[in-house]
Amino acid sequence: MNKNLLKVENLTMKFGGLTAIDDLSFSANNNEITSIIGPNGAGKTTVFNCLTGFYKPTAGEMLLNRNDEIVALKKFTDYKIAQKAKVARTFQNIRLFPAMSVLENLLVAQHNELMVASGYSIFGILNLKRYRDKEKGAIEKAKYWLDIIGLTNRADDNAGDLPYGDQRKLEIVRAMCIEPRLLCLDEPAAGLNPKESSELNKLLEFIKNDKKTGILLIEHDMSVVMGISDHVVVLNYGKKIFQGSPTETRNSKAVIEAYLGVDE
Amino acid sequence: MQTSSDIKKIIKDSLFTGLISLALFGPIVGLKTSSKGEGLFVTPHIGIVVLLVAACITGRFLIGLNSLRKKEINFIAKITSSISRYMDNKGKHVAITGVMFAIVFPFLPFTDRYVLDVSIMILTYIMLGWGLNIVVGLAGLLDLGYVAFYAVGAYSYALIATTFGWSFWVCLPLAGLFAGFFGILLGFPVLRLRGDYLAIVTLGFGEIIRIILINWYEVTNGPDGITGIPRPSFFGLEFKKFPDEGVDSFHTFFNLEYSTMHRIIFLYYLILVLALITNYFTLRIRKLPVGRAWEALREDEIACKSLGVNPTNTKLTAFAIGATFGGFAGAFFATRQAFVSPESFTFIESAIIVAIVVLGGMGSQTGVVLAAIFLIGITEIFRDLEQYRMIAFGGAMVLIMIFKPKGILANRKPTVTLKDHIK
Repeated sequence: MNKNLLKVENLTMKFGGLTAIDDLSFSANNNEITSIIGPNGAGKTTVFNCLTGFYKPTAGEMLLNRNDEIVALKKFTDYKIAQKAKVARTFQNIRLFPAMSVLENLLVAQHNELMVASGYSIFGILNLKRYRDKEKGAIEKAKYWLDIIGLTNRADDNAGDLPYGDQRKLEIVRAMCIEPRLLCLDEPAAGLNPKESSELNKLLEFIKNDKKTGILLIEHDMSVVMGISDHVVVLNYGKKIFQGSPTETRNSKAVIEAYLGVDE
Repeated sequence: MQTSSDIKKIIKDSLFTGLISLALFGPIVGLKTSSKGEGLFVTPHIGIVVLLVAACITGRFLIGLNSLRKKEINFIAKITSSISRYMDNKGKHVAITGVMFAIVFPFLPFTDRYVLDVSIMILTYIMLGWGLNIVVGLAGLLDLGYVAFYAVGAYSYALIATTFGWSFWVCLPLAGLFAGFFGILLGFPVLRLRGDYLAIVTLGFGEIIRIILINWYEVTNGPDGITGIPRPSFFGLEFKKFPDEGVDSFHTFFNLEYSTMHRIIFLYYLILVLALITNYFTLRIRKLPVGRAWEALREDEIACKSLGVNPTNTKLTAFAIGATFGGFAGAFFATRQAFVSPESFTFIESAIIVAIVVLGGMGSQTGVVLAAIFLIGITEIFRDLEQYRMIAFGGAMVLIMIFKPKGILANRKPTVTLKDHIK
């Protein structure tokens, strides 16, 4: 299979007179973690919002390799990005369903398959066995992910009652429940302590290696970025200023300038 | 510890309350105008005013004393929280007992025609509450125009039944279908709105339907309403004292003495069954993917989109299903009254149904039952007081809002648990 997963070409996003992303091109590979870093306001989250259908880019292409078939993400709007193109995302400020249980959160992520299985609710109302079996399968899948993040014993508690670090992890595995090709994580390590942050690294490594999912990561925590990224894209004022391996990034003059400023 | 300064403060507070109540009750209750012969005379009612003001002062004083105690006796909150705890453990038993009671209810010794009429009304509101619970409680869409679907159901039943003469059991699903269709029709434009905006637009829709009913004289007969709507029959047996030649009526078929109660009891069971169907349907669909998606949409729409849930379709189903049950209730209303007019579908009806859902505890099926009995029951008990009964209605709402701001039964149970699944 082709190694290349996502190809962003000349992506431009303008809000009125403000150019948030300016002619950005980069690519991300299968089974790799690609980090997007940059100072605040560099346009990182805007890239995510374009990729996941929340914004419609002004110009440019976003091509996803879906099982050796290239699809343009621009064609999908809104919820269809997750449903059809299988691009999942998490949010900078956690967006769980706080009043619903942990297990229910993971079942909502499998909504589309379960809807079909329930015959758009008709089989479900009649409580047919074929629906119940499917539901059982969905619960098994949820349990599988809960086992991985160690939250199985809290499956029936409200998601809003979990500690912050666990909510972060839950949001990631919830996104994994839609079985994405590409997983976009918006600052997953924000607000985590060092122990939680290293657990997060392990979880991401696992997803990358065992689930064959490409990961796109926005992060400020350099220990996470340098520790697990295969590839780093550096943005500043909506433009790509550098692309390379973590070590190269660390030594790049352009990156140091963007973050620390230059001596006159 | 009660210190004297606290007591002083309470006394001051209650005297101030007395002053306010005097200012209010003085002119409103104290001065009654009456016209004798020529001219208008004012008759003062000092006694009642003194009584009311004294009641306010003592009430305020007692509340103040109560708040002084270390452990506040929060008596209504305590009762309701113990009810919800009990319901969590024994919910099923309570529900079954409730249904059994509802089944034998018409044959209990104290049940007369009036009590049964009130129960039919309460059951209608319970059914409407359960229907609206799908929209407001589960999907979190504040619909202030629910009465519109009730009206569509009632009028479509009335028009179909009087025009084509079809039986109740044919017209009932048609009425539901029409109401559901209107739900989708309204849903398309308004579901891009959220929160307050949605509430205002649905409120407007409710009024539009009523005004159309008043003005579309050729079809709806305007403010005069539609009369002579056929009564439902018991498997083809009518409830008539003197049946047509050669046709059996309910009492002749079963060899019973003719009584008007037969029809009332039949109507009672009819609405009971319709309400229980609504309840069963809601409880089931809540546990299905679409039900979970409703609740997820209520919690966070953006997160739903990121998981591939289609928000528009999901909300539309909630709207359409809620409207369908409203339509069924409307059809029942029409056949029970044998007469419909736009007057029955004013905004206050929507407000009462929303109040039942909110006070019962959003999304709680048992809460709806309790709130309906409480609100409709209270207004019925105080019927002799005529316009003052709305004070009782308002008072009941205020009490619940103070002691149980989230509704009588606000506990949400997960639709599925891992615990049960592993077991």
